[in-house]
Amino acid sequence: MAILRLRHTPASRHRPSWSVDPARGVTLVTLWLLLALFVIYPLLMMLAAAFLEGGRLTIAPLLAILAKPSHRSAFLNSLLLGLLVGLIGTALGFLFAFTVSRARLRPAWTRLIDAATLLPLISPPFTTSISFIFSFGPRGLITYDLLGIKGANVYGLASTLAAEVLTYFPIAYLALRPVLSGISGTLEEMAFSLGSRRLNVFHSVTLPLAIPGLANAFLLLFAASLADFATPLILAGNAFPVLPTEAYLQITGLFDLKGGAILSVLLLVPAAIVYLLQRSWVARGHYVTITGKVGPQSSIRSVTPTARRMLLGACATVALFILYLYGLLVFASLVAAFGADHSWTLRHYQVIFTEGRKAIIDTLIIALLGMPLGGLYGVLVGYLVARGQGAGRYAMEIVSMVNYALPGTIVGIAYLIAFNDPPIALTGTAVIIVACYVFRYSPAGIRTTIALLQQIDKGLEEASSSLGARSSTTFRRVTFPLVMPAFLAGVGVVFIRSMTAISATIFLVSIGWTLITVRILENMTELSLGPAAAFSVFVIVVVMAVMAVLNAILRRLPTATGEQMQWGVGGG
Amino acid sequence: MRARDRYFDDADPSSKRCAGRRRQALTAALVSAFIGWATAAVAADTINAYSIWPENWARPMLVEFETATGIKVNFLRFSSGEALARVIAEKNNPKVDVLFGGPVETFAAGIKEGVFEPYKPPAVAALPARFKEADGYWTAIADDPLVFMTNQKFLTENKLSAPTSWDDFLSPAYKGMLQMADARTSGTAVTRIFSVLEVNGRDEEKAFAYLKKLRANVQLYTKSGGGGTLPVGLGQAAGGIFFIVDALDTKAKGYDVVISFPKEGIGTSAEAIALITGAKNPDAGKKLIDWATSPAMQGLFAKHKINFVPAHPEVKTEASLAEVLRGAKIFAIDDAYAGANRKRIVERWVTEVLP
Repeated sequence: MAILRLRHTPASRHRPSWSVDPARGVTLVTLWLLLALFVIYPLLMMLAAAFLEGGRLTIAPLLAILAKPSHRSAFLNSLLLGLLVGLIGTALGFLFAFTVSRARLRPAWTRLIDAATLLPLISPPFTTSISFIFSFGPRGLITYDLLGIKGANVYGLASTLAAEVLTYFPIAYLALRPVLSGISGTLEEMAFSLGSRRLNVFHSVTLPLAIPGLANAFLLLFAASLADFATPLILAGNAFPVLPTEAYLQITGLFDLKGGAILSVLLLVPAAIVYLLQRSWVARGHYVTITGKVGPQSSIRSVTPTARRMLLGACATVALFILYLYGLLVFASLVAAFGADHSWTLRHYQVIFTEGRKAIIDTLIIALLGMPLGGLYGVLVGYLVARGQGAGRYAMEIVSMVNYALPGTIVGIAYLIAFNDPPIALTGTAVIIVACYVFRYSPAGIRTTIALLQQIDKGLEEASSSLGARSSTTFRRVTFPLVMPAFLAGVGVVFIRSMTAISATIFLVSIGWTLITVRILENMTELSLGPAAAFSVFVIVVVMAVMAVLNAILRRLPTATGEQMQWGVGGG
Repeated sequence: MRARDRYFDDADPSSKRCAGRRRQALTAALVSAFIGWATAAVAADTINAYSIWPENWARPMLVEFETATGIKVNFLRFSSGEALARVIAEKNNPKVDVLFGGPVETFAAGIKEGVFEPYKPPAVAALPARFKEADGYWTAIADDPLVFMTNQKFLTENKLSAPTSWDDFLSPAYKGMLQMADARTSGTAVTRIFSVLEVNGRDEEKAFAYLKKLRANVQLYTKSGGGGTLPVGLGQAAGGIFFIVDALDTKAKGYDVVISFPKEGIGTSAEAIALITGAKNPDAGKKLIDWATSPAMQGLFAKHKINFVPAHPEVKTEASLAEVLRGAKIFAIDDAYAGANRKRIVERWVTEVLP
């Protein structure tokens, strides 16, 4: 989940006349009520489930959970996995970003790299995991058929790590590319012309300047891995349990809501630490702006031809491996029975459009409901945060980020606990899934709104209100068109996540409302590999189509700034 | 800048608003048409069910039911542990009318939680005792023996013959190569563990000693009962213990696997159906139970290539299935014993065997 964070420097010298406007007041109150209901209340209910017993506060169940070696090791495994994914993923992201920004690639190579890094960001979970299962292991296409290794093991840390790195490193790549482009080439040029060797320039100029960006990327990847539920469910096996899957099994298998809640609280601690670290780091303002000026690049000199070939070779290898994993998926969706009967068939696609019709329709309805709501919510919160005053705006900013910063498993369990029984019984409805998506995936829209509004002079809106327009009119006629790109970004992210997320919503599907991702998991565990692969291919195609449409709209907008659509995509 | 100018030069905002309204109206029409299309299939009489049978088996049966009675069944598939957990969680506000399919231990455990409504369909008169709960809390719709399934190529390469004893799976040749279900979510796993208890004369210490030894050879415990069948088919795993319905389906798909039975015997679990307490549509739910427990449904297994053994005595076991089962020593899991001990045994398995 990559979001470009910016330092905001509110410079409000004038107290705007619209601050006491009733429409604004109503919006503010409504948003706070919604945040209280869908962010604060579920979290409190989950903490209550974990720590309250008969009305008394107790940590006995927590100690009981911690006493189990398997749970302790799940906690440590989660941290270890997050750490490794963060380190390796950041390194890989940096490699890609450096190559793209410094190695003067031909357009074909850039296209290959863009395609390979985009795919994991917009895929349903399991996609790389499925291909991993078939590529490695005792009879894996790579381990056995290609390398002739017998008895290779596909379950455990190594494959989970590899699959998560490939799934999440594009986040680091997207976060680091503007950082590297933002480092003025002139600096490198200067160092170079003063006699530094290339490696020294990299070392003493490029790398130090990129360090804040690297730290940010590391934290984003750490958080993404910590929250990832799908990859470990398929690949971690029994020897390497991690918290999100353990919490899921605790609840769905043993129906131990309390145990699940406690395991989630364990997950909450590192997630909160990472979030606060990342926030304070970026708030210090080391970061380039979202439209970061691309200075003249020192591409001619910063890499030697040999280094260029090596960089390109490394990136191409990774990119081709990713494309291979997806190629395998497409193949599995088009043959009768992968590994046994490779005759071509469209049967699996027929199955997903007949038997899977309900899941597809439900998912699309939920996505269509969530898109405008999520986009609007993001813009409104972003607007109130960017243009409001006082401590309230910071409180709103932080609360609006909570569901996003928390691993999906926690959010799902919290919603299940909070909305299963009256007074607010929402389980079984579409509302609970839509709410989950809106409040979990809108921060992308919020962030972009804030970023845009900081670049737009307040005078525009003040002119409108001083000419007598009410704040609602000003918002609709002046502000909203200006933050349209943010609205579209919010809409896009909510759509993509509606099509691909599972970690939270697996707890919230019901007889009335099911989701494609849950069906993929079901098919995966039921020998129906063909339909699982076909569903995945379908999701990727739909998401690509919608992203293309949104990007096309974005490009036509007067305030558009090309790349923003990609921010905020990715993660569990 | 050109685009921005165009925007601000828009001299007539009212025409823009009109266009906006038209767009809104169009969007509304499209959305309602879409929702209309999406919900068009809702039949007059509808019931909701959680199915423990995988889609491949449940869907053709429930579609046949709709054809026969006009009652549409909305269903969602879960592993048995998950399905039971859901039903218990929704006790105060049931979302489904019927729990369809799944081994009887799951149902026995549900009785203790008070989630089922007693109902005796007409078929109980013909059913032997092990296929019905005395008070009518559940009734069997099929019988499903466990089997050993192994990959032929693995056996050949390792010069092994198909396992014919529980101890064969302890051979070092299988080290890290077996896949079977996780008892936290899967009824298949629970039936397997109770089979081990039975062949060890219900001596829990002996049974768990065996299960711990078996653990060393297990590559992965899967969430779902059939989860290991594909890896075994592909040779990614050497073998495992599965319900016959999943094993024969793997074979039918073209994977080269061998089905065998242990000489000590192996458990079979009746697959059951039950009415949920507080069902919103109990009458239609009862019709589904009547139909599923009768030859009307079980006679269709063969047509849809579903390799369950019929529970109703009037339905003949399909010939090729009967051939596979010939000579196998199969015993029924005592559902009273299993239901009473399920939770404790599963928890013991999770703490002692799984890690």
